[in-house]
Amino acid sequence: MTAAATPSAPSILVCVKFVPDPAQLQADAAGRPDLRQAPFRISTFDENAIEAALRLAAEHGGRAVALSVCAQLPPRDVVLKALAMGVAAVYLIKDEERLARDPLRVATALAAGARAAAARENLARWDLVICGEASADEYNQQVGPRLAAALDLPAITYATNLALNEGVLSAERGIEDRSETLEVSAPALATVGTEINTARMPTVLQIMGAGRKPVIELALSDLAGLDVEQLKAFPAIEVLDVFSPPSARKQVMVKGESADEMVGELLRRLGADGEVTF
Amino acid sequence: MGTQEDQADGGILVFSEHVETLGELLTLGREFASRLQRPLIAVAVGREAEALLDEALTRGADQVLVVRSLRDDAVVADESIAQALCEAVRASAPPIVVIGATRTGAELAAGAAQRLQVPCASSCITLEIDDAGNLDVDRRVYGGRFVSRQRLTAAPRLVTVPPKRFPKAEKVARAQGSVRELRVELAGPRIRTVSVNPRSRSQVDISKAEVIISAGRGVKRKEDLEQLERVARLLGGVLAGSRPLTGDVDWLPVDRRIGLSGQTVKPNLYIACGISGQIEHIVGMKGARTVVAINNDPKAPIHGEADYSLVGDLYEIVPALIESCEKAKRPPG
Repeated sequence: MTAAATPSAPSILVCVKFVPDPAQLQADAAGRPDLRQAPFRISTFDENAIEAALRLAAEHGGRAVALSVCAQLPPRDVVLKALAMGVAAVYLIKDEERLARDPLRVATALAAGARAAAARENLARWDLVICGEASADEYNQQVGPRLAAALDLPAITYATNLALNEGVLSAERGIEDRSETLEVSAPALATVGTEINTARMPTVLQIMGAGRKPVIELALSDLAGLDVEQLKAFPAIEVLDVFSPPSARKQVMVKGESADEMVGELLRRLGADGEVTF
Repeated sequence: MGTQEDQADGGILVFSEHVETLGELLTLGREFASRLQRPLIAVAVGREAEALLDEALTRGADQVLVVRSLRDDAVVADESIAQALCEAVRASAPPIVVIGATRTGAELAAGAAQRLQVPCASSCITLEIDDAGNLDVDRRVYGGRFVSRQRLTAAPRLVTVPPKRFPKAEKVARAQGSVRELRVELAGPRIRTVSVNPRSRSQVDISKAEVIISAGRGVKRKEDLEQLERVARLLGGVLAGSRPLTGDVDWLPVDRRIGLSGQTVKPNLYIACGISGQIEHIVGMKGARTVVAINNDPKAPIHGEADYSLVGDLYEIVPALIESCEKAKRPPG
């Protein structure tokens, strides 16, 4: 690893959240999410972020490194998956006191973590930071733009395409009624969703083989430039409850021996409700 | 109220860069303003600043705070607007700040909140002030399957609210709001806009449709959408889609997307075909009167959001549906 990152060999940091898989999360008897039984995964959009980082790194001879803040260490196979996809190293910022429990604190911790990781990689800076546009569990859509503010980087959010050329990042940004073509000189931050690419799926062999790559654990309280007391003193957003909302839906399973029977039953019920009239 | 509250003696601040959404936020903002007996203040900044000013006065804001750059250059970049919002909050000590949760609004809220070093509750679906002046909000988490109830205790309580969550505020007979100008130092934007391309528009406005057939990842080929288009025609509805079909692949124009990053719809009948039911999608179709889900995965979250679930192969059920509808429509004999 050379000290100077030239624009032609970009250093890329990709921020990753390890989350209980929402698709496999069930409610317990009290209607609360049963977090113990849901397997962990890399948050969906963060997989696209990793893919975007890897493609840019491969194209320009650069290096992509992942960074995560986690209250509990994610299962090893999930960390290995990120490495098997192709990131050169994973930095895990251990937050055993659960101080980074909202996007304000997560972004503040990630900013300190980004600086610590750059120092360990002998980099003066990250040329590009890539985040998923939202996490699969909390879906706040905040950490990317917050991290940009914390690192004083310009942010291109909702990027559907990213290209680097001579130290200039160009991006397509997709919002409600238009797409925008934007340009910014590195260093910069981008957030991405599923539109930008299809994330590669490493094979089991690749995942097993990724065990030799470095996983660097740093304690949140040891990060240079992070004032833990300040983190504690930030105004709070309290989570009062997390619950499965009572559904106003009928939730009727329409049964039948065949597709025809099911459709017949459906149309009969929709007719009784007055939703279809022929 | 506590001491923190006492310092926040300003008005309720509302902002959206999107004129329609601002009209909706004024409804919620007015409710908060009445409850806390504070003025309702709209922030006008950005490309649409003039239209926002007009909309806010027309729909009853007590004051419009127009943020301008000290050097008098136009404030149009998102980066500059986030700074401007931050300064507007600093200048007006609001107990509550409501920002429209468009994609741009989500970015602006997060950027401003980080500069202010305060939390923000995103995409709140219900918001309530308790007797102690706390703001309690509900937001959807874990793919929309759970609701997180959160409390913001300290001012400024920043929240974002999705478009179309509230009806627009009524127009007032005579606008009586005042206009105040705030001049702030803004760092020059670092991002250059090379071009802006409006999305291609369909002929139909799905937000007004009474029946919607909605296609998701379970549809395997673009040409298979023709079958769903047929169902839509037979039921007098329109075809729409989830994010994968309108973004990851361009099988449907993006203005037919239902969900967080697309449209919010309230049809009488909504038939979700091969849609798993991620939060991204659910947010957009919650308001449907009757929901039918066709999905071969019995565990797909869409079933929890449906009145009628058909667990089976889309490629068998849709042809059967077409046949039944055609038969029913055919005159007897």
